[in-house]
Amino acid sequence: MGSALNGIRVLECGELVSAAYATKLLADLGADVIKIEPPGGDRARRHGPFPRDVSHPEHSGLFVYLNTNKRGVTLDLTQARGRALFDRLAASADLVVHNIPPPLMSAHGIEYERLAALNPGLVVTSITPFGLSGPHRDYAFTDLTLWNAGGVAYLNGGGPGTDDLPPLRAYGPQSEYQGALNGAIASLAALFARLRTGRGQHVVVSIQECLVAILELTFEFFPYMGLVASRLGVKPIQPLDFFECRDGWIFICCVEEHQWQRFVELMGSPEWAAMELFENRLSRAANWDALKLLLQEWTKEQSVAELYMAAQHRRIPFAPVSTMGDLLASEHLQARGFFALVSQPGMPAVHVPGAPYRFSATPWELRSPAPRLGEHTADVLAGVGVSAGELGVLKREGIV
Amino acid sequence: MQPLEGIRVADFTWVWAGPFCTLQLAHLGAEVIRIESGNRTCVTRLLPPWPDGTPGVNRSGYYNQYNQGKLSLALDLKRPEAIVVAKDLIARSDVVCENFAAGVMERMGLGYDTVRQVKPDVIMISLSGYGATGPESEFVSYGPAQVPLSGMSSLTGYAGWPPMHVGISYGDPTGGLHGAVAVLAALLHRARTGEGQYIDLSQQETSIAVLGDAIAGQSWNGIQPARNGNRDPHMAPHGVFRCNGEQRWVAIAARDDDDWRRLADAMGRPELATEPRFATLSARQAHEDELEAMLREWTAARAAEDVVRLLQDAGVPAFVSMSNSDLSLDAHLQETGFFVSLDHPEVGRRQHAGIPWRLTGTPCAVRRAAPCLGEHTDDVLRRILGYDDARIDALRRDGVLV
Repeated sequence: MGSALNGIRVLECGELVSAAYATKLLADLGADVIKIEPPGGDRARRHGPFPRDVSHPEHSGLFVYLNTNKRGVTLDLTQARGRALFDRLAASADLVVHNIPPPLMSAHGIEYERLAALNPGLVVTSITPFGLSGPHRDYAFTDLTLWNAGGVAYLNGGGPGTDDLPPLRAYGPQSEYQGALNGAIASLAALFARLRTGRGQHVVVSIQECLVAILELTFEFFPYMGLVASRLGVKPIQPLDFFECRDGWIFICCVEEHQWQRFVELMGSPEWAAMELFENRLSRAANWDALKLLLQEWTKEQSVAELYMAAQHRRIPFAPVSTMGDLLASEHLQARGFFALVSQPGMPAVHVPGAPYRFSATPWELRSPAPRLGEHTADVLAGVGVSAGELGVLKREGIV
Repeated sequence: MQPLEGIRVADFTWVWAGPFCTLQLAHLGAEVIRIESGNRTCVTRLLPPWPDGTPGVNRSGYYNQYNQGKLSLALDLKRPEAIVVAKDLIARSDVVCENFAAGVMERMGLGYDTVRQVKPDVIMISLSGYGATGPESEFVSYGPAQVPLSGMSSLTGYAGWPPMHVGISYGDPTGGLHGAVAVLAALLHRARTGEGQYIDLSQQETSIAVLGDAIAGQSWNGIQPARNGNRDPHMAPHGVFRCNGEQRWVAIAARDDDDWRRLADAMGRPELATEPRFATLSARQAHEDELEAMLREWTAARAAEDVVRLLQDAGVPAFVSMSNSDLSLDAHLQETGFFVSLDHPEVGRRQHAGIPWRLTGTPCAVRRAAPCLGEHTDDVLRRILGYDDARIDALRRDGVLV
């Protein structure tokens, strides 16, 4: 059993999530990924969560999760000597993935033409906020501004009557995860193309565009019907909403007539369910204010787990509003062996999401934890001709 | 040459997650053939938007967005003759994708064990709500329900509010993209070794994969972050503020004290940068309500675009909260060539979101609008499967090609 991406050598630079998750996908499928951090370390090391909330650069849950199976090197790419070493590494790499912001790319040595001259087979993937052209190319950004720039936030919020509440973000730097997934896809595609062309190329991902590409059916309302889609719109069909039970929350999803009928039976066929007001999914949506109150009265007596099982056994697609604790305790996820335990010396072992897919021939594998800061600098640089003595000098000068 | 030129995908997917996976392959130049039936029409063909509000299975903007560049073969898979045709197609395909409920493909005689006999090096991927195995693998999974199922809703919401949604069925595109990564990795492996394989993808799991830090925190400390609206543990101010006009909002974030200083300057309040209440991140977070009230007052009088221009000139992250109409008309997105407008026989020329990456050496492009249902039935049967007219006519007469 080999790994799908054996033999592919990847360099990663940048910080936080988008480049790191892209190369994590590759590393976890067997690629040889070298993560290049500035001597002070990736900012993700300071983000946590931390065991017992005690901050420690080797124990950041975000960093540990994103950087499994990678080797770690420190290099100051803002210095010429650092860039020269990066060039030596790039000369024998297959792929560079980075998320260094466009205005800083050149100063960090990320210049595709120059790197291609060193290594014509090299693929360089730039995960950027707005691409490398156009009036917004150099805009300052964070996940929040990108989630809004991509149109996703505008669709989310408190629903009708909450005009004063702002568009609402999702948890976590999701714009970075979308950039990462698209970056991985485009990088792998470029490597596949190289099998035939023998040449690398520059791959540019625009995170804003990645988000506009996932607006479900909402974007097209404007080109097709001249309509603006927003979080304030009334849902056309119900029930499709959150309800509180006695021990948590459940999402009631019951949009087909036959599902509603079975749900009514599950509730013991209360009289109100026979009212004309609620006779089909459109009228249930039109009278949602009333129906929601009636359903809330019923759900608050129920247990989430029992209601979930009872509904699913009747083929009604309810879902629990899972907490992280629910997920870690889930019998289903445990049976699938989904969570992986990451252990490294000096750190309490931690469960993180494991394989996001199961390959029958080349499975996902956790081979090593995230690298300690600079853990592999000496070995990796020795591989490109840096002696112990030179390494000492580089350390003193803050290049590594 | 496009990266996946010459690769053929037998696409049994439907709704959003599966078609979004195969859309990436189509974007990369693969020949993606959707197997569809009018007897079990893909729900995205039945949903709006439609031009003039007039429904029609070939008029949906939703279907047309996520099935650009693909071909459509009409086959009623309930018919045994259709399964024969499907197998003939699989024999000439590199990749098989499906996102039916667990067990459906097997019951149709198109499970991996059968498929690999027809094409030993085939790469087959099943995307499902809960995965192919496990006690809940037969549960019914709908797109909107995946967001709460995966834990995202428990982490998302205004402060003090119940768990909330994220505005789209977010698990679907996340699952579809992970699926495309998997297929491409498998294609690379096959190129090197000749070996195909089966991939089991659970959308619940791919959705949890983007919440890894919250899982780690629960694992170590038994707690998860409280819902906190648009605020952030590492940045303040950090939020979305109302501007002048009807539902005009701007997202603003100060990454560090430098950004805060430049933001205060841009607001004409430079003294706020060093005022003890706001000078450091923790101070700003201790007074975040006041901070946001000040920002709100400043933005309320201004047009969103003016706020963005002022702040971006000062190097402070800011962007308009874009609606679909804002995006459609956006000068930057138009200039960079992101949108695609191709002729479609029933809806004409409509603007669609295109490909969010540029491969400069092997450029990708959406080559055709989404197909009408069964539009390529004859072409596929003749050109790819080598059926003659008599055979095609017989299948059609017997009601198999619907």
